[in-house]
Amino acid sequence: MRNHSSKLTGRIIAVLFIVTTIIFTCTACFGGDTEKTKEITGEQDLKGAKIGVQLGTVGDTYVSDYKKDGATVVQYNKGADAVQALKKGKVDCVVIDQQPAKAFVEENQDLKILEEPLTTEEYAICIAKGKEDFLNKVNSALEKLDKNGTLKKIEGNYIGDNKGSYQYKSPENVNRSNGKLVVATNAAFEPYEYVEGGKFVGVDMDISQAIADELGMELKIEDMEFDSIVTAVSSGKADMGIAGMTVTEDRLKNINFTEPYTTSYQVIIVPNGKSDTTALISGEKFINDFIVDSRWQYIVQGLLTTLEITVLAALMGLVLGFLIAIGRVTCDNTGKCKILNWLLKAYLTVIRGTPTMIQLLIIYYIIFASSDIDKVIVAVIAFGLNSSAYIAEIVRSGINSIDVGQFEAARSLGFSYSQTMWNFIIPQAIRNVLPALGNELIVLLKETSISGYIGIMDLTRGGDYIRSRTYDAFLPLILVALVYLVIVVILTALLGKLEKRLKNDGR
Amino acid sequence: MEDKNAMIYVENLKKSFGDTVVLNGITTSVKKGEVLVILGPSGCGKSTFLRCLNRLEEPTEGSIYLDGVDITGKKVDINKERQKIMMVFQHFNLFPNKTILENLTIAPVKLKSVPKSQAKEKALQLLDRVGLKEKANAYPAQLSGGQKQRVAICRALCMEPEAILFDEPTSALDPEMVGEVLSVMKGLAESGMTMICVTHEMGFAKEVANRILFFDNGTIAEEGTPQEIFENPKNQRLKDFLSKIL
Repeated sequence: MRNHSSKLTGRIIAVLFIVTTIIFTCTACFGGDTEKTKEITGEQDLKGAKIGVQLGTVGDTYVSDYKKDGATVVQYNKGADAVQALKKGKVDCVVIDQQPAKAFVEENQDLKILEEPLTTEEYAICIAKGKEDFLNKVNSALEKLDKNGTLKKIEGNYIGDNKGSYQYKSPENVNRSNGKLVVATNAAFEPYEYVEGGKFVGVDMDISQAIADELGMELKIEDMEFDSIVTAVSSGKADMGIAGMTVTEDRLKNINFTEPYTTSYQVIIVPNGKSDTTALISGEKFINDFIVDSRWQYIVQGLLTTLEITVLAALMGLVLGFLIAIGRVTCDNTGKCKILNWLLKAYLTVIRGTPTMIQLLIIYYIIFASSDIDKVIVAVIAFGLNSSAYIAEIVRSGINSIDVGQFEAARSLGFSYSQTMWNFIIPQAIRNVLPALGNELIVLLKETSISGYIGIMDLTRGGDYIRSRTYDAFLPLILVALVYLVIVVILTALLGKLEKRLKNDGR
Repeated sequence: MEDKNAMIYVENLKKSFGDTVVLNGITTSVKKGEVLVILGPSGCGKSTFLRCLNRLEEPTEGSIYLDGVDITGKKVDINKERQKIMMVFQHFNLFPNKTILENLTIAPVKLKSVPKSQAKEKALQLLDRVGLKEKANAYPAQLSGGQKQRVAICRALCMEPEAILFDEPTSALDPEMVGEVLSVMKGLAESGMTMICVTHEMGFAKEVANRILFFDNGTIAEEGTPQEIFENPKNQRLKDFLSKIL
C-alpha cells in the first residue's frame, strides 16, 4: 500500500508541476499587456465606449441607453469580474454602485472613481406580487427602524467615517414564532452584502435581521446570483430580496418594492494612469486570499459540498441509469412493454438534449418552486437525473456488447431472466464499460461547478467568494482548478485499480 | 418412432421466423438413455429444433412433453424444466469472469441449493473424469478449445440433468481437439445419459447413436438406425448429403 500511495502522490505532484508551468508560460505570453483603451473623463465619453457592468443591475439597464450611440456593454456576473476586466483593459470603464466601487478602488491602486456620479438611485426590498399584506408589514417595520434611527446607525457602521462604530444586535428575548424569513441576496456587493468569517454581513444583512426581529421571524439568508433574486422571490423560493436593488420600471412589472431604505449613486470607475505594481502572485496576495479571515475555509467547505453533491448524484445516477438500461434492453429484446420503452427513450432524449444548467434551474425554480427543500438535495437530484441518462446509455452499450451466448448459457442452466442479468451479464458489462463510467464520473464532478447558480457554496463558488472579497482573480481561480484536477487524478487512479481488480479472467 | 410415454415427446413442432418456416411439423420421441443424432444440410432447422427443446427458441406451434408435462404450456415454470435438460453449445459459452470451478458450481448452488462444499466436490470429481482437475482454478481464457468444451460438458453434468442437448459441440474446434471431446461424449453415452446431438461427426454418429434423424427443409426426411441411414439410405436428399460428406 505504501508503495501505491507514494506513486499516486508522485503523480499528483508531477501533474501540478506541469500545469503550473503551463499557466505561467501562458500568462507571461498573453496576460501581461493590456489592450489600448479609450479614455473616459465623464458621462459624455460613454458614447462609443466599451462599458463593463454587472448583469441585471441598474448600471446595466442605464448604460444600455448608450448602445444606440455606439457603446458596447459587456455584462459580467459579478462586479469583481467587471473590475478585473477593466484592469486588463478589456473594457474602458465600469459602471457600478458607489459603495462597492469605493471598495474596489481601495483594493486596486490603478483605478479611480470619476467625481461626477452617473445617476442617483434608491435601494428597496423586493417582495412577490400578491403578498401585499406582507409588503405592508415590512414597510411598517422599515418605517419604525427609520424613525428610531436604527437604519442610519446600521449604514454608518459600514459607510462613511465612523465605520465599525455600531454593530446591530437583535434585542433579547425576541419571540420568533412567526416562522422563517427567507431573504435572497447576492453576497458579493460590499458593503451592502458580503461574506466575512463565514457569515453574511453588510448593511442589507443587518437591515434584514432588524426586520426579522420586528416581524418576530427567524432570518435565513439565501445567497445566489444577482439576476436570480427576482426569480427566487417571485417564485416563492424567498420571502424577500435585498441586494442593493434599485426600483426600476422593468422590475416593477414582475415584483413589488418596499419604500426605499437608502440612497446610492451609479458611478464610473476608470484607470487612473498608474500601474498596479503588485505582482501576479505574491506572498502578500496569497496571505490575503487564503489566510486572512480564514478564507481557505471557503475552499475546504466548498470542496466538501462539491464532493457531497458528486458522490450522492453519482450514486443516484448509477442506480437510475442501471434500471433504465436494463429496462431498455429488456424491452428491446422481448419487443414487449412498448410504452415503457417509449417513455424511457423520451426521458433519455430530453435529459441528454438539454443543458445541465437549464435542468438545474428548472428543477430548482419550477419543480421545487414552493417547497422548502435543501438546495444540496436539489442539486443532487438535478445532477443525478442528468447523469442517469448518460450512465443508462453507457450501461446499455455494455450489456449489448456481451455475447448472446452468455445469456443463452445462463438461461439454459435454468437461471431466470433477472438472475441471468445480475449474475452474469451486468458484471461483465460493468467491466467493459468501466472506463466510460469513469469518464462520466469525471464529467459529473466538474459539472457540479454550476451549483453556484442556485446559490450552493461549492468549490467553484468558494473561489468566487474569495475573489469577490480580495479582487484577486488569479490565485483563487488557479487554486480551485488545481483542487478539481487533484480530485480527478485521484479518481482516475482509483478507477484504474478497480479496473484491474475486475479484470479477473486470467488473461 | 413416436412414443407418447417416452421421456421426451415432440408433437407437430413448428417454428417460423417472420415468414420463413424453419420447422414444419416435427413429431418424434426420445427414450430414456437413448442417443439421438440429428443430421442434415445447413439451414435444415436441426439447431432450431434443438433450441426449441429447451425453449431457447419459442415454438410457433406444437407441444414438447418432458416426462409427460407439456413444457410449452403457459403455466409451466420453464426455469425449473430447463434444469432437467442441459445444453452444450458450439462456442462453449463458459463464463469468462468465473473460474472453471465457479462455472461448474454456480448453477447447482444458486438454483438447487446444493451446499457449496458438496457442489465443489462433485465438480472436482467430474473435472477429474475429463482429465481437467488441475484446471479447476484457471479461467476459461487459459484453456484450449477442447478443454473448454469438456468443461462445458461437466457444467451440464453438474446439474444432474435427465438429458443433454449438444449443438454442434465440435464444430468450433481445431481438428486435433475434436477427439478428446468426442471421447468424453462417448463415455457419457455409455454411462446411459440421454443425449440429442446435432453434429457433423459421422464417425460418432455411426458408432454411438441409437437412432439418427435426417432433417431436410424443416421436416424429418428420414429416420433410422445408423446402419439403415448410412448403408441403405432411401431418401434422395439423404443420399446426396451422404455422398457429399463421406
